[in-house]
Amino acid sequence: MASLRVAVIVKMEPDFSEGNVSYNSDGTLNRAETKNILGPHSAIACRAAFYTKVIYGAEIYVATMGPPIADSALQQAQLISNADNLYLFSDRIFAGADTLATAEVLKTGINMIQEQGKKVDIVFSGHRASDGETGQTGPQTAWKLGYTFLGNVISYYVDIENRKIRAKRLISLQGFYDIIEEVEALLPVFITVDPLYKANYDTITQRLAFMKHRKEASKKAQDYKQYLNVLNAQQLGVDPKLVGLPGSPTIVYKVEKIPKAKPTRRATMVDGSDRGQIVELATKINQVLSGAVVE
Amino acid sequence: MENYDVAIIGGGSAGLAALQHLSSLGKQAVLIEAAKTVGSKNISGGILYSKKPKNGKVFNVEDVYGEQFFHDAPVERLITKYILHTTSRDKLYSIDLTSAHKYQANFGYSVLLNSLNSWFAQIANESAEKQGGGIVPGVHVSNILFDEGKTVIETDELKEFGVKAIIAADGVNSEVADLTGARQKFSPEELYQGVKVVVKLPEDIINERFEISSEEGAAHLFAGDVTLGHIGGGFVYTNRGTVSVGAVYHYDSLMSHPTEPHELVDALLDNHLVREFIKDEVPIKEELGHGLSKEEQLKIRFGASKLLKTWDDLRTEFYSVRGRRNLIETGKYKSEQEIKARLDTIYHDLNTKYGIKFSTDYVELEYSAKLVPDGKRCRMKRPFLKNILFIGDAAGRGIFIGPRIEGLNVGIDDAVRAANAVSRSIERNNFSSDYMGEFYTKSVEESPYTRDMREIDKDYLKIFLDAAKGVPKDIIGSRYGTIIRLMSSGTLRGLAVGFANMLGYDRLLPLVESEETYVQVPTELAERLGRLVSATYTPKIMSISQRIANLQYDDDSVSHIRIIDSKSDFMKKMVVLCPTKCYSSENDEVTLQHEGCIECGTCARETQWKHPRGEKGIAYRYG
Repeated sequence: MASLRVAVIVKMEPDFSEGNVSYNSDGTLNRAETKNILGPHSAIACRAAFYTKVIYGAEIYVATMGPPIADSALQQAQLISNADNLYLFSDRIFAGADTLATAEVLKTGINMIQEQGKKVDIVFSGHRASDGETGQTGPQTAWKLGYTFLGNVISYYVDIENRKIRAKRLISLQGFYDIIEEVEALLPVFITVDPLYKANYDTITQRLAFMKHRKEASKKAQDYKQYLNVLNAQQLGVDPKLVGLPGSPTIVYKVEKIPKAKPTRRATMVDGSDRGQIVELATKINQVLSGAVVE
Repeated sequence: MENYDVAIIGGGSAGLAALQHLSSLGKQAVLIEAAKTVGSKNISGGILYSKKPKNGKVFNVEDVYGEQFFHDAPVERLITKYILHTTSRDKLYSIDLTSAHKYQANFGYSVLLNSLNSWFAQIANESAEKQGGGIVPGVHVSNILFDEGKTVIETDELKEFGVKAIIAADGVNSEVADLTGARQKFSPEELYQGVKVVVKLPEDIINERFEISSEEGAAHLFAGDVTLGHIGGGFVYTNRGTVSVGAVYHYDSLMSHPTEPHELVDALLDNHLVREFIKDEVPIKEELGHGLSKEEQLKIRFGASKLLKTWDDLRTEFYSVRGRRNLIETGKYKSEQEIKARLDTIYHDLNTKYGIKFSTDYVELEYSAKLVPDGKRCRMKRPFLKNILFIGDAAGRGIFIGPRIEGLNVGIDDAVRAANAVSRSIERNNFSSDYMGEFYTKSVEESPYTRDMREIDKDYLKIFLDAAKGVPKDIIGSRYGTIIRLMSSGTLRGLAVGFANMLGYDRLLPLVESEETYVQVPTELAERLGRLVSATYTPKIMSISQRIANLQYDDDSVSHIRIIDSKSDFMKKMVVLCPTKCYSSENDEVTLQHEGCIECGTCARETQWKHPRGEKGIAYRYG
């Protein structure tokens, strides 16, 4: 019996990386041509959850709301987190959901897992999505679950015996953006993981466990359907009024194209084989740096 | 502090064999490797041998990994042909040395170390996990402390940990040896510098070109004017779908009249026979979409490179038996004709849609370099210090006898001997020098490989004399005339070798390993008796900066090398001898740019030289 149970909520997003993303002529995303992947922030959340697997031997559930094809995002999440169970909440009535309606589905899903007698101690999420950028779904799910919310976490340590967590958060304070705040909270907690999150595996034993779990994860992920549970609205028992379009107090009314910024700098190509051009460049650098250069 | 029984430092072929063998003996061991993935910092020529010596026993790769080695190990080709070519410009005189290759050998496979060592690692890790050990990649050992009977290992990445014994398998530039003072850094006289390029060539084309079947492989060796006057030689080994082209030279010969290392491999690539061996149909890289808008240009280039990749991948598959079978079995294509038709269509499209032309050239995939210890000169006579046992390159145990170059199999043999010694010590809980180090030393001294590093094998010598029967005596010169005459008779040969062995390698080597042997005699031989080979094209040999650009690095902001004396003669020579030109000289002072460093250690002797921190530095794809 695992002494710690954690859930990760993830999102399938378009692959915005160079060479993979495709745009329509009006500058909007070409969804048909662009591959879907596990969102980059979701991947970081999975990495943070993997830490509980390696260090505390936690039992991990990964959940997402999305169309049936979102199972591939769950597979990628399993590869990163070595999750024991994958949940896909998928139903036509979930379509058009805003952050609040999405949070409702995720909350219901997590509670359903808990009703099977499996208390979830920590829920992880990315700190925002690369396609929505609202950063709201995580906190709203935390609020609906009634969990203590810890945002922008960059590292953490769990005191299993005393059911406590100690986390470092990146916050801004009085105009400084790189303040690290260390907080302690009683479990259960909801954590949104900062992109700067870093796991420290600093003993041989931890590294060996890391390698072992990574191997196990790739084995599991090859066979991910065996760990996959697909649930619709009815199976979840959600209130139809609280999900999808009807449950969304906000709608995306219009997306405006971001105007191209006017260039403020100009690049000049320097031919490296031309000594004259190099001398010219060196002279310019010298001028700019004059005063700052110490012989 | 955590404690483990044994730490193996370095995850090359030797270290991995030590882990596998120790685990199979039921002992707990952890292997610490600096690379992010095991195998990615390992380089070899390379041929992996399995030997059956006429006296004594060696531990071979199949003894360590069992039958699964033959079934699953990603070796390249079984070498069945072994030919020495002497060169003089476009003239070539060839001597078949297959019998020398087969001498006392069960087999010899050409290998690429990245894939092979990852396979070894997978097997060894599974065995080690069962004993509570395993492989820890991405960690660089920074110090070893002996503290009140405890041995403590410090690393750049992890908390310190204690061990009872260490097996040092960290290669020719062993930091363990350096940190503990177990031995001096090797000197140029004791080392060879090897530079290699991996060339892409479809499997079927290799078979046809080298006149071998898919189950066979060829090794071609080169001496003569391709050596540019240095002591050493070149090689071309066939892999499955690539060819290894390399040059291995006496480091002190390079020091005496410095030549940029890549020039030696370039001379080989430029040799007419090698040119013909490695030629292929290559798309000409031109700027596409001239005169079009930026956006259109990008679109065209993106499309063209995508299609080129499809063509290249499909072609590689098509020109290999397994590839063709795979394409048909997976239902992607119905027949070979269909694949061929598809290839032709793509070729046509590349031509008409994108204006891509093809020409004859060679395709270079990877440039690499490494130092190789010459065991005759530098093997550690007592390869241990306290409770640390040195194996393979770290102990200076490479075999260089004429064209015979062996390192991987020697390292594996050492590994088994070291693992046996450590295992015995664990059982008695006695890790003292007397009990463990001396036991290991005795075992290594008994190894037939050590015998080969100590004395001349007259039967092996005879193979060369027989092979060289057609060579006119006057070419070999007055210097060797008497020796050759002596050696031609069985009884006298026995006496002569006996006498030579009494003299010892120290006095013998300067006579045999000379410019005369490696350069003058072979060149004259080719000049007088050679056949003309003329290549049909001139290769566009990659520049060093292109080669470096093709390599993968995770660059560390801090340099792992520090110059001690920027004005020394040694450092000035490094400006020429560094295979990736990391050194430059200005105003009589040598400066270093570590970013292109491939960690060969050529400059290690007179610098503060460490391997980069864990996961940092070079990551080879072939090795």
